[in-house]
This record gives sequence, C-alpha cells and structure tokens, in this order.
Amino acid sequence: MIAFFGRSVVQKSITLFFVSVVSFLVIHLAPGQPSQIDPLNPKFTREVVERMRQQFHLDKPLHIQYLLFYRDLFTGKTVSWKDSRPVLGKIYERFLNSLPLFILGTLLTWTFSFPMGIRAAIQRNGPFDKSTTFLSYVLISVPGFFFAYVLIILVVTHLNVPVIDMQTFGVTSDSVMVLFMDRVWHLVLPSILGATGGIAVLSRYVRGQMLEIIGMDYVRTARAKGLSYDGVYYRHALRNALLPFVTMFGLMLPGLIGGSVIIESIFGWPGMGRMAYEAILARDYPVILTLNFITGVLVLAGTFISDLLYMVVDPRIRL
Amino acid sequence: MNIRRVLIFAPTLISLVLLSSFFWVPSYDAQTRGNPGRLRQFITAAGGDANLLNPVLAADSSSGQINGLIFEGLLDYDENLNFRGRVAESWRIYEQAYFHLNDKAATARWGRVDGTTLVAKLSESLRQEGAAWDHVKDIALLPPESSTQTVTIGAPSAQKQVTLRIQAPARIRLTLDRVDQLLFDHLAVLLGPEYFSSFDPAPYVTPDAPLSSDSHLELARQVLPATVHNPVIEFHLRPNVRFHDGHALTAADVLFTYNTIMNPRNISPRIPDFEPVQSVAAIDPLTVRIVYKRLYSPALGTWAMGILPAHLLDDAHLQTEATAKGLKPGEFTLRKSDFNRHPVGSGPFVFEEWQSDRYLRLRRFEDYWEGAPNYHQYAMRIIPDPLTQEMEFYAGTVDDYNVLPHQVARLSRDERFHPFSGTALGYSYIGYNLRRPPFDDPRVRRALGMAIDTNQIIKYVLYGQGERITGPFPKQTDYYNHDVKPLPYDPQGALKLLAEAGWQPGPDGVLQKNGRRLAFTLITNNGNPERKAILAVAQDAWKQIGVEVNTDLLEWSVFVEKRVNQLDFDALILGWSMGFDPDLYQIWHSSQSGPFQLNFVGFKNAEADDLILKIRQEYDHRQQVAYCHRLHEIIAEAQPYTFLYVKRWTALLDKRIVRQINLPDGRVEIKPITPTKTGNYTYYFNQWIKLSHSPEATP
Repeated sequence: MIAFFGRSVVQKSITLFFVSVVSFLVIHLAPGQPSQIDPLNPKFTREVVERMRQQFHLDKPLHIQYLLFYRDLFTGKTVSWKDSRPVLGKIYERFLNSLPLFILGTLLTWTFSFPMGIRAAIQRNGPFDKSTTFLSYVLISVPGFFFAYVLIILVVTHLNVPVIDMQTFGVTSDSVMVLFMDRVWHLVLPSILGATGGIAVLSRYVRGQMLEIIGMDYVRTARAKGLSYDGVYYRHALRNALLPFVTMFGLMLPGLIGGSVIIESIFGWPGMGRMAYEAILARDYPVILTLNFITGVLVLAGTFISDLLYMVVDPRIRL
Repeated sequence: MNIRRVLIFAPTLISLVLLSSFFWVPSYDAQTRGNPGRLRQFITAAGGDANLLNPVLAADSSSGQINGLIFEGLLDYDENLNFRGRVAESWRIYEQAYFHLNDKAATARWGRVDGTTLVAKLSESLRQEGAAWDHVKDIALLPPESSTQTVTIGAPSAQKQVTLRIQAPARIRLTLDRVDQLLFDHLAVLLGPEYFSSFDPAPYVTPDAPLSSDSHLELARQVLPATVHNPVIEFHLRPNVRFHDGHALTAADVLFTYNTIMNPRNISPRIPDFEPVQSVAAIDPLTVRIVYKRLYSPALGTWAMGILPAHLLDDAHLQTEATAKGLKPGEFTLRKSDFNRHPVGSGPFVFEEWQSDRYLRLRRFEDYWEGAPNYHQYAMRIIPDPLTQEMEFYAGTVDDYNVLPHQVARLSRDERFHPFSGTALGYSYIGYNLRRPPFDDPRVRRALGMAIDTNQIIKYVLYGQGERITGPFPKQTDYYNHDVKPLPYDPQGALKLLAEAGWQPGPDGVLQKNGRRLAFTLITNNGNPERKAILAVAQDAWKQIGVEVNTDLLEWSVFVEKRVNQLDFDALILGWSMGFDPDLYQIWHSSQSGPFQLNFVGFKNAEADDLILKIRQEYDHRQQVAYCHRLHEIIAEAQPYTFLYVKRWTALLDKRIVRQINLPDGRVEIKPITPTKTGNYTYYFNQWIKLSHSPEATP
C-alpha cells in the first residue's frame, strides 16, 4: 500500500513536470502577443512594445521564462497581465462561482441517469427504452447553445423572470430566503443545460452496464430461485453494475476547475470557463498556465483517487 | 424496495426544489415598473469586463467607458469637435522658438553681424514688416551655454554610451503668441536661405570617445539643432474641482499624472502621446505649463486624459500599500495597486462596487463642479452574449442596446424605443502591396477598385448600415474631403484602364502582360464575417474582369505576425479604427514602410510625406484642414487602398429617457435626447433622466 502510494507520487510528479513543460512550450510557441502589446496600434512604437515585452520577461530565452514563471507560481506571486491581480486569488474567486454550477450539474446528471438507464435496461426494447434512446441521441447531437437560447427566450418572454447572472441584478431583500431562492433559480437553467449532455451519455452507460449484468447466469439463477423482481435487479444486479461508475467519481475532479465556456458566456455567469477563455484570447499567459497546471494536478489526483476507490469497492483488486 | 424508491425520489425532490425557486424570483415587472428607484438608475450592458479602472493604464473599451465617468481630463471635445474646458477653465498656446547664431554665414540683409546687433535689426525690421509678424512678441539674445549629455548610440545589439560635452553658441529666442511652423522659413527671407541650413554644430560638441566624422555630425545635429520650436500650453484650472474624497484637484495632480505616465515601470500605453513633452511645471496651484520638445499638434487633445489624485497614489502611499501586502516596495508599482479596483477621481460619478465579470456600480458625485448628474446611479452589467443583452433590454433591466446591423430595419421602427445612429470611427479597405507588381501601377489599383461594387457590399453584407469612404480621415470631421468622389462601379472602365496599363486578355481568359498573368492572393484574418464576405465578393468581381484571385483566411496573430509585419502579402482586407486627430504619420508616411511598421502597403509620395509632417505640426485648425484635404486628394488619386466603407452604428434607448435641464430659477425643462453633429448621443448624459411615462404623455 505504502509502496503503491510512493510509486504513484513519483510517477505522477514526473508526468506533471512534462505536462508543465509541454503546456508552457505550446502556449509560448503559438503565434500571438499578449493583448497589452498591439502591433497594429499606431500609437505603439517599437520602444513601447520592447519595454512591455521586457516587463513580461518575453525578451528572455524560453527556459528562463519557464523557471521565472514556476518560481512565481510556487511562491504565489504570479499576477495576471490583464489587471495585475494575483492569479491564485482570481482563480479561487471564479472557482467559488463555478462550484455551485458544477455540484448541481453533477447531481442532476447522476440522479437522472441512473433511474433512466436502469429502467431502459430492464424494459429493453420497450417504449421507454426506445424513447430515452431517441432523446439521448437528440441531446447529444443538438448543440447546447441552441437549447440555451430556446430556453432563455421561452423563460424570459413567457415567465417574465430574469435568468442571467448569478442573481437578479439589483435584488435587495431582508429575507435570506428570497436571496437564497433567487440564487437557486439562477442556477436552474445553466445547470440543466450543463447536465443534459451528461445525462444523455451517462444513462447510455448505465443501460449498457445493466444489460451486461442482467444477462449473467447468476441473475437468471436468482430469478429462477424465486427472488422478487426488485430484489434481483436493484439489489444484486445494480451493485455489480455500479462498479465502473465508482471510478468515475475520481475522474470528475478536474471538472471542478473546468467550467463551461459556452454556458457561462450565454448566461453571463462569472465562472472559471469564461475567465480561461478570455485569458486565452488575450494571451494572458500567467492565467492560462496556472489553470493548466492546476488542471494537470487535479487530473493526476483524480486518477489516483480512482485507483484507490476501485480497490475499496472491489476486494478482488489488489495493488 | 428501498433502492428503487430512492432512485425515483431523489431526482423528483431535486426538480421540485429547483422549480419552486421560480416563485421567489422578482419578475421583470417588479424590477422595472414596481420600482420607483429604477427611474433614477441608468443601466447599460457591455460585452466584456473592465480591466483596470485607471485612465493612465487602461486601454480597453469597457474600462475606458467607466474611467470616463469617474475621472475627468483637463478638456474634452464638445458637440462640434472643438475643445471644451473641463478641469481646465481655459488655456493658452504659444511658442518659444530658438535658433543658434551662425557665425559662418552672413545674413542676407545685414551681412555678418554679432548677436546684439542681429536682435536689434530683427526687432526693427519685423516691426516694419507689420501684420505678418504681429505674432512675434519678443526677441532676446541668450548667452552661450555649456552642458554635458550622455547618449546611447549604435545598433541595438552593440549599444554604447557616449558622453558629449556641448559648448553651445549664443542663441536667439523668439516668443510668439501662437504656434507658427513656418517661422524659420519666413525668417530665412531676412537672414538668407542658407543661414539655418549651413549651421554646423560639430565643432561645439566634443564626444568623450572617438567617433567617425559622420556619426559625430549626426549626434551633434541631434543634440544641437540649428532651429528649435518649443510650443507651450498653459492650462488654468478651475478653482472648485474636487476629487471624490473632497481633496481639491490642483496643478500638482496634473504634474503627478504626467509623471505617472512617463514612469517606465508603469508601462502606460499612453507614453507615445506624451513623449514629445519636454517639461511639465506647476506654476501655481491652478496653473500648469507644458513645454514641448517640438511641434506636435495632437498635443492639446492628449490632455483629455483623466487626472489621478496625487494624494492617494504618491510614492509614500504606494510603499505603505506594498508593505501592507507583504511585497517589496521595489517590486510594487501602480499596476498592482488596489486603486485600480477602487478608483477615486474627480468626474461626475463616484465608484461604488465592482463584481468581476458581473457588474460595476457607480453613484453620482454630489459635489461635481458642474452640478451633480440627474441619475443617482450608473451601472454597467457585463453580459457577453448579444442575445441575452437584447432580452434584458426588452425586459427593461438594461436601458440601452447597440443594435446589430441586421436588426436595424426592424428595431428602429419600434414605437417603444428611440433610435440613434451615426457614422463609426474607422473604415475597412483592401490594401495592396505597392512593392510588388502589378500593384506598383496606380492604374491597376484604380481598375481593381472600379471592378468592385462597394454599394452592393454595403447593401448585402452590412444590411445597408455603412457609407462609402474615399480617404483616410474620419468622415464626420472637417478633415475629410467631401469633394473627393468615390470610385464608380465600372467593370468596363476598369478593363479599359488595365488595357492602358498593358494588360490584355490571354487565351485562358485571364489578363496577361508580357507573359505574366494577372493573378494574386487576397488575404484577411479569420473570425471576421464581414471581411470574409468581402473576400468572396472581391474574388468574384475580379474574376469577372479576368483577374485570377486566390484567397486565404488566416488566424489573426498569424496574419499580423507572419504576413502583415513581414510585408509578405499581395493584397489584404483590413480596417483601421481612428481617433478624431488627423495625424497619419504611422500609417502613411514613407519612413514607416519597413517590416513591423504600419505603412505596410509601402505608400511613398513626397508631397504626402511633407503634408503629413505639416499636419502634425500645424496648430491652426483651418490650415490643418486645408493640408488634410490636399492629402486626402493625393491618397485617393494614388489608390494604395481601395477604400470601402465606414460602418454606421445604431443604438436604442427607452423613449422615456429624456434630457432634464435644471434651470437656475428652480424650474426644469424637459428636452428629447438628440445626437450631436458627430452622432454622439451621450454628450449630455449628466442631464439624462428616465420619466415614469413617455414624454408625449406628459402635458
């Protein structure tokens, strides 16, 4: 166990190092300049541009820039080029904004996918199965922003309530409940839209897993020995079908920092995805690279947690 | 069975909780009609968040919009694009001109004379000549001066420092009550045409290291020019201007703002505006004197920049802030200060709150020198998506909306709204690389322009929301020459012109000249649908007259870095956005046609070069306009660009928003909002207010 732990840490640190080098190179070698340096602005003379590049260390060789960046990152001194605010502070602020969206979206995905997938598997080729299959493919193939626009137009024109931002603009109330429910309402549409794709995909997986397990001999034996319908499917079959999904919990970890660019932009949600997208457009390297690094750490941590979870739920697996 | 029930119950419960929240949300009606405070609030929407609320550092439009309300400059443009005093009550522009006595040359009128005699003779004859020299108020002889100066010379890779010992000869100073860029040309009539040009500064300058005689002379000319213009602007500030914290705004703040811009550690994007400044001095608390190194007519306009409060941002304050944050004072600059997120200025609105990527909130400044604005609050909501912006506007939770071109026809007829439209600042064009054949022939460029039906582009690509443009100046300014007619759409005429230039149809239908086919590549950047459409239109139009055109769409930074900056293109579609100032040096002067410079088409014309320099040195508006009109003609004649169009913008406001003028006797006068001559409808923003009913309904 300890050996596994030690081996993982060493392996993952090496991977992380390569991730940091590659992402640094990809971002720096891609064409483009930080938006502060605008080569087509008549006011920007060569000297001004040179001075700005110096300020951002862009005139130094790449390996020096790499060391400077990671030195600043680990001492917590990295600042965004856009507004000179500390990058970690900015990311934390956005993380808190994106978190409720992520939690609710995940909750919706998982709570809806399982009943849908299980029922579709049990009533294979029945009307429920066929309609959810159809619905899943519709949800997967129609782009999310389209649903978003349709939903927004319907809600705004017919229900006459605001949907964008994290709360109603200028809402004031003495009642904590009003403020809380207002926030919940603003979560509804973006999280539903965030979850639709996930429900469509995950319910398919659940259905597939269930079908595989239902086809097993022991399920037939259990049925034959006269166990109740629910007892067989929901107790014996479901448990075994769940195994692969447990590991998915670990892999969800990077989603914490992902955020959705499209949903956040359409709903004016001040989240992580929008910040990352704007940072990429403005070539705000410190923000992009820091996010990249944190994502790398979370992915590696996620796979580690997956491994551990697998070991916990399946006694047959030993590391 | 429990598990089954849980599986059904959990999603149902979550759905119910989520949907029940609907009953708690304030509806749009509650926010707009049921809320009297809403009438005293102006809410606008912006696509992107502000970056830095500091007029010295910010360069993006959202920051600019907010900074314009929180901060105030010494002056701004009024409705007719004349300057109007803001923090400055009045100003005076005059000039001090200097020339060195040239003991090698004899004067034309008086022969070889010494300094004192020359001053006496000059004063006398200028007095006799009368009106033409009225603006010269004083002539004085300055004694010789010696000084040392260190300069950096050599290529960037092999720079070295040279210290120069300068023993300048006596100078004559002329004080003028207005700036006269032709002063020395006129003086040359009295002193002789060679008097200034034959001045040899080399003997007066001794370098501390051996230099070749050429570079010695070049350096000497640099530090000791024969003639110098020093324009001076003297601003008189209003006595009653205060910052939002009650501190009075004085000349010291203006001086501080200038120093902040020029401090290289702040990397201010405004450095180029103030580079020609020689010195800024606070003469007394309400007078600032700015002396310029050289003639620079855009100078006055640069002082529209917001004034920072010195008492909050001086070195002592920044050091305290650095220590409080645990940073080394050496590493801490204005860029990192919290001020940029909690600004204090002297403008009509006071900063209140900023939620990143959500909204910015300001409230009115009760002690604003011109009287507090009518609106109590100003809010800018950050709504990146145009469709949701539109929905919020209809719902009444945003007060203005910038209409997209395809919506103009529908929305400008809507009864509920008041539409405004105007000409944008900035134009689109097709630029040709004049270094490469066949574009070195103006007839070819003209023919290519004539083959494109720009009116159709405006009609179909821009939904009619554009105007033809014929030259490089903003169409709404005096500088634009309306006598220059746009190229006609005339494919036959184009063919005739091409035939004149030697291009004849070849066997494959493509025009040929000496065995060379008329074929080239037209490029533009990806991500701009209008340019992409023009690309197709131009390709098709040129194909019609037998020109083979390949097209290429490139990602913006590749387009700029690999093609435009390296001058590696045949023809490109691009646009310029402009300010009101007519300075065209960077884009059209022949000295700016190298790689990484902005005259990338390689336009070279001696008369144009001369006019461009004269325009940026001319302080008299009428004379400047005359130069601009001529320059416009030259550029339109040469057709280095096919000038396409300038866009029209349209904005909507709720009809209930009006101008309410509070008269001194306590009455109020209600006027509809009208755009100024330049199309700026927010000019009287401080007088705006929203009525509870449409103005037609009130008697």
